[in-house]
Amino acid sequence: MGTSAEEPPSPPPPLEWDQSSSDGEEPSPSTSISFDRDRHVAYLEMMYQMLPSYYQSQEINRLTLAYFTISGLDILGALDRVDKDAVASWVLSFQAHPGDKNQLNNGQFYGFQGSRSSQFPLGCDGVLIHNLSHLASTYCALATLKTVGYNLSNVDSKSILTSMRNLQQPDGSFLPIHIGAETDLRFVYCAAAICFMLGDWNGMDREKAKEYIIKCQSYDGGFGMVPGSESHGGGTYCAVASLRLMGFMEDDILSTSGASSVIDLPLLLEWCLQRQAADGGFQGRPNKPSDTCYAFWVGAVLRILGGYKLIDGKALREFLITCQSKYGGFGKFPGELPDIYHSYYGCTAFSLLEEPGLNSLSFELGITDVAALGI
Amino acid sequence: MNLERTVRIKNGFLEITETKSEREGPKASRAYPIPAATVISLFSSHLKVVRGKPSVTGTLTEQEWKKQAMDSDDDLRPEEMVPLSQIPEWSDVVPVPKTTVPIRWRLVLEALNADLDEELDYVERIAKKNSKNYQIWHHRRWVSEKLGLMLQLRNFSLPGRFFPLMLKIIMPGPTGRLVVLLLLPWVLQALGGWEDELDYCGQLLEDDVFNNSAWNQRYFVITRSPFLGGLKTMRESEVKYTVEAILANPENESSWRYLRGLYKGDTQSLSNDLQVSSVCLKVLNGKTNHVFALSMLLDLLCHGFQANQEFRDAVNALRTSNADPPETDLAKAVCSVLEHFDPLRVNYWSFRKSKLPVSA
Repeated sequence: MGTSAEEPPSPPPPLEWDQSSSDGEEPSPSTSISFDRDRHVAYLEMMYQMLPSYYQSQEINRLTLAYFTISGLDILGALDRVDKDAVASWVLSFQAHPGDKNQLNNGQFYGFQGSRSSQFPLGCDGVLIHNLSHLASTYCALATLKTVGYNLSNVDSKSILTSMRNLQQPDGSFLPIHIGAETDLRFVYCAAAICFMLGDWNGMDREKAKEYIIKCQSYDGGFGMVPGSESHGGGTYCAVASLRLMGFMEDDILSTSGASSVIDLPLLLEWCLQRQAADGGFQGRPNKPSDTCYAFWVGAVLRILGGYKLIDGKALREFLITCQSKYGGFGKFPGELPDIYHSYYGCTAFSLLEEPGLNSLSFELGITDVAALGI
Repeated sequence: MNLERTVRIKNGFLEITETKSEREGPKASRAYPIPAATVISLFSSHLKVVRGKPSVTGTLTEQEWKKQAMDSDDDLRPEEMVPLSQIPEWSDVVPVPKTTVPIRWRLVLEALNADLDEELDYVERIAKKNSKNYQIWHHRRWVSEKLGLMLQLRNFSLPGRFFPLMLKIIMPGPTGRLVVLLLLPWVLQALGGWEDELDYCGQLLEDDVFNNSAWNQRYFVITRSPFLGGLKTMRESEVKYTVEAILANPENESSWRYLRGLYKGDTQSLSNDLQVSSVCLKVLNGKTNHVFALSMLLDLLCHGFQANQEFRDAVNALRTSNADPPETDLAKAVCSVLEHFDPLRVNYWSFRKSKLPVSA
């Protein structure tokens, strides 16, 4: 009748964090048959606020974890949970700036470092005294900045791009960090994505990189991380996405009859499609169990080639649902506890499947289309 | 006959002493002094110098050296590591071309072999705690990239672990500063040759024929080994080897891919090789696991293979629906059968069918 005051809407019930299940018992797989968007948002938001202690050993890659979390929320249409300005400032604090222009040719790479701990110790005036800029961290930094809508023209790209050339090897591959490390396709990809996002290809020799990529195609059609190594879903993504970003592969190439390619396309296509296993999920290599993340690594390759429609989307979806955790997020295998990496790639996989309510992805950049366009 | 080897580092030399003693006979000793500078020059582009501990001078016992190695590793901070080439005191050290490295390096390795197990444990412990620390993986892989050699780990029976071990020696450098060498013993071992690599691959595959990494390694060895003559030379024997593996497990994707890989860049020879077409036929006539055989047959047909009636019969026998009129075109028939036997990829086989040249 209106005499009693209207009850305020009750807050949503808190997610039940089943304590008993956290004692090492296998949680039962999510009984949900649908994509649990709200739970995934809650999971990622929790990670955004604070990382669980078992991520300490990955502190060196903190910027990467941030990228997964923030880009994940973006895909889920939940970027409002993020303080965009705070994120941008935080990311920018990892940039290594050269003292003066001459330093750009001292062999070091002036990009972004991956974590606060890698910046320590600072000099007595608070200035960075050693530079551990890393290509992967730089990619994650720029991807995250784009995701939160930061205008990259405010970033000192000249320093990044000029010094990035120091990391490219004579064979076209890239070191990730100037002090030395392995060189492989992952860092070719990072370099290509960095140049693409900064809109400037002076950061690398594209032709050399292309030659290196071609050498990585294995006898079975997939790509290994280095020439001669076993073909692998992640390596294949890095190869194809790089070629696309660098302009060496036209869009939707499979639809173009008679299209020539610098790589063996039919063999690649069949290799990719064979990665879908009997359980509907995608494996990273032949005879290996299906893993959530390859639904993105291999799926995105198929999207780039224009061959995604050839997979069994229904079977894939069913597999991914079994990897969906009742705590939110995704695990690596069915029934496993979630982790940030697989949660991110689970979300990207559902975006590839065009799950309603999810934002579309730029397959080769690894961020949403909206973020990529910089609107 | 007893063979004893000892290695000492003394006054900037690696001194290896070999003592052979017959059971009831005289002892014979030989000493090989190898200048430390030569050791260092072999890997000069990859050595790092760390700040020496000023209190340590003169010779050290083996224990002290090991302790130094352990301690200094904990102290190692990336910013303190400088490539040798950038240190003025080492500017006259020129890398030794690997072809001129004397065989005695194997002696260094073997003599120090006793330490390798412990070393492996140490490395493994560090690696486990720091699996995301890219420097560990770098140290484990840099040589394979630089020298392009394959790792032999059979002494340690670790299938699938293709990465080298670290061995540390501490010795005084030319200016008396301590130098930590990160020697990878298998490199020294591998400098001896590739002969056993193929055997090793065979062993891995015997353990698990579904091990895709092992198939890949086999491919790497037969194509890159200077001792085996290259892909073309090895092709026939490898086809034979692979056909056997296929017949034993026709559902194994790795072996089929390897077979095709043996004809990389030469699809004409692939379609002409009777061993290849005949293994397809054998598997097609078998009870089950036809998918890869069908897919291989499709590829052969696309590359000009002229199938005889036996193939037609085998494919027809697999047709499940008698309602559909039989395809006159064998390749189209294969696609139809695949659409049924490999439903996960029904869209792909349909796509392949649509791309087939229109039959005359």
